[in-house]
Amino acid sequence: AVISPQDPTLLIGSSLKATCSVLGDPPGATAEGLYWTLNGRRLAPELSRVLNASTLALALVNLNGSRQQSGDNLVCHARDGSILAGSCLYVGLPPEKPFNISCWSKNMKDLTCRWSPGAHGETFLHTNYSLKYKLRWYGQDNTCEEYHTVGPHSCHIPKDLALFTPYEIWVEATNRLGSARSDVLTLDILDVVTTDPPPDVHVSRVGGLEDQLSVRWVSPPALKDFLFQAKYQIRYRVEDSVDWKVVDDVSNQTSCRLAGLKPGTVYFVQVRCNPFGIYGSKKAGIWSEWSHPTAASTPRSERPGPGGGACEPRGGEPSSGPVRRELKQFLGWLKKHAYCSNLSFRLYDQWRAWMQKSHKTRNQVGRRDLR
Amino acid sequence: MSRREGSLEDPQADSSVSLLPHLEAKIRQTHSLAHLLTTYAEQLLQEYVQHQGDPFGLPGFSPPRLPVAGLSAPAPSHSGLPVTERLRLDAAALAALPPLLDVVRRRQAELNPRAPRLLRHLEDAARQARALGAAVETVLAALGAAARGPRPEPPAADAATVAGVFPAKVLGLSVCGLYREWVSRTEGDLSQLVPGGPA
Repeated sequence: AVISPQDPTLLIGSSLKATCSVLGDPPGATAEGLYWTLNGRRLAPELSRVLNASTLALALVNLNGSRQQSGDNLVCHARDGSILAGSCLYVGLPPEKPFNISCWSKNMKDLTCRWSPGAHGETFLHTNYSLKYKLRWYGQDNTCEEYHTVGPHSCHIPKDLALFTPYEIWVEATNRLGSARSDVLTLDILDVVTTDPPPDVHVSRVGGLEDQLSVRWVSPPALKDFLFQAKYQIRYRVEDSVDWKVVDDVSNQTSCRLAGLKPGTVYFVQVRCNPFGIYGSKKAGIWSEWSHPTAASTPRSERPGPGGGACEPRGGEPSSGPVRRELKQFLGWLKKHAYCSNLSFRLYDQWRAWMQKSHKTRNQVGRRDLR
Repeated sequence: MSRREGSLEDPQADSSVSLLPHLEAKIRQTHSLAHLLTTYAEQLLQEYVQHQGDPFGLPGFSPPRLPVAGLSAPAPSHSGLPVTERLRLDAAALAALPPLLDVVRRRQAELNPRAPRLLRHLEDAARQARALGAAVETVLAALGAAARGPRPEPPAADAATVAGVFPAKVLGLSVCGLYREWVSRTEGDLSQLVPGGPA
């Protein structure tokens, strides 16, 4: 027997008229008693009718999207259930225009791009996505070959990329029902550079200062030969919290002191890098991933606090948030408007450490006096 | 049947003939390989039907048995043949399977492009069939029972192509089924030679 049409492609919601014609094998075979199944389920008899002695017709309306990639199995059966013929239906939607293309280059050696397939998602048909790229002013179209590197809609171009010249990048989507093309993204590799996270992040205490931790890291080695000014960001959180605090004014330096922390508390710290201004580019690069979390704890406060647990600092002590913020603003103003380049938080913290030490010494002397 | 020293017409004819240790080891290895591949072949069949959609894989599913050019299932008379003759037929079938499995893999790459595991397993099956066939031929050669004359060429790859997606799915099912049958048959035939195995 033969089913017609063979392997049709249809839009969701459309109708299908099909026929199953027995070819006299076995001899004397007729359309009487034949029936249809779709994906293994018998179709209602009222959907079929005998057209003539050897042909059974089928009418389906308002088709749903195909259940599997390889096509829905429409099968014509003899009275005894044996399979006479089959045809695979492909029911779906044409591809939508891919959008939201974003690309980044790891250490200026490659380019990885990611995109969204279309606003409404599922087409129910296998849809092929092809990332294309070319030099803007000359050259032929090239096709990316390494797909699914960072998710289902991504591609990686590993080599042979030019710097200081714009590329045009776009995505073409094709399936049995049509094709669609994204808008063109134009970029220079130098403007989308990212790097590995800073390695060797160390977090340590600052002497006996109970509200501070020192963070040190190394500049990403892959960029050591390239002219750039790195920007860094630090984020930290208390061990049993999910809320990160971000310090984002850490410019081109590889250490930072976190202050205003809770004494006797474990903190997790991460650092990331942005290769800003690489080869003189005016644009910020792309932030790296965060480094692996590094943990450290602040010293426990020696002053007894309420309940004897981790202590909050006493009132009046200048380690609370608002005071510190104002002090920071003052120091920033001083640097701009007065020639006090030596003033810094470091000096302030040194003063605080000295104050705490003298405070302890005075207390000890006082207690000795009382005995 | 007279016993001839130094060669074995049929090892079963006289069980007191002692196989050389390396031959014995080779037979055991080949039998173990066949046993392992029988399991893989069963898994491949299950994986294949899952990706074709219902009714493939449903209980009672009985598609028309499409002829596969150059290869048929083991005949009912197979088990009555001498073991060396059975192994020759096994080796011939295992040599015919790789190009057929390649055709199935290429077609499935079009029908199920997002099923990389299935495609990889079809590729593995072709390699495994080749390896098992070569191992069986080595055993036969060691037994002095290698195939006489040139082996017929395996069927050309395009001999297994069909028009239409549904027939292609059915043909792939037939090929995977044949792979399972012949690997299982080979395991059974080799077990006759394993020392201490069934007579």
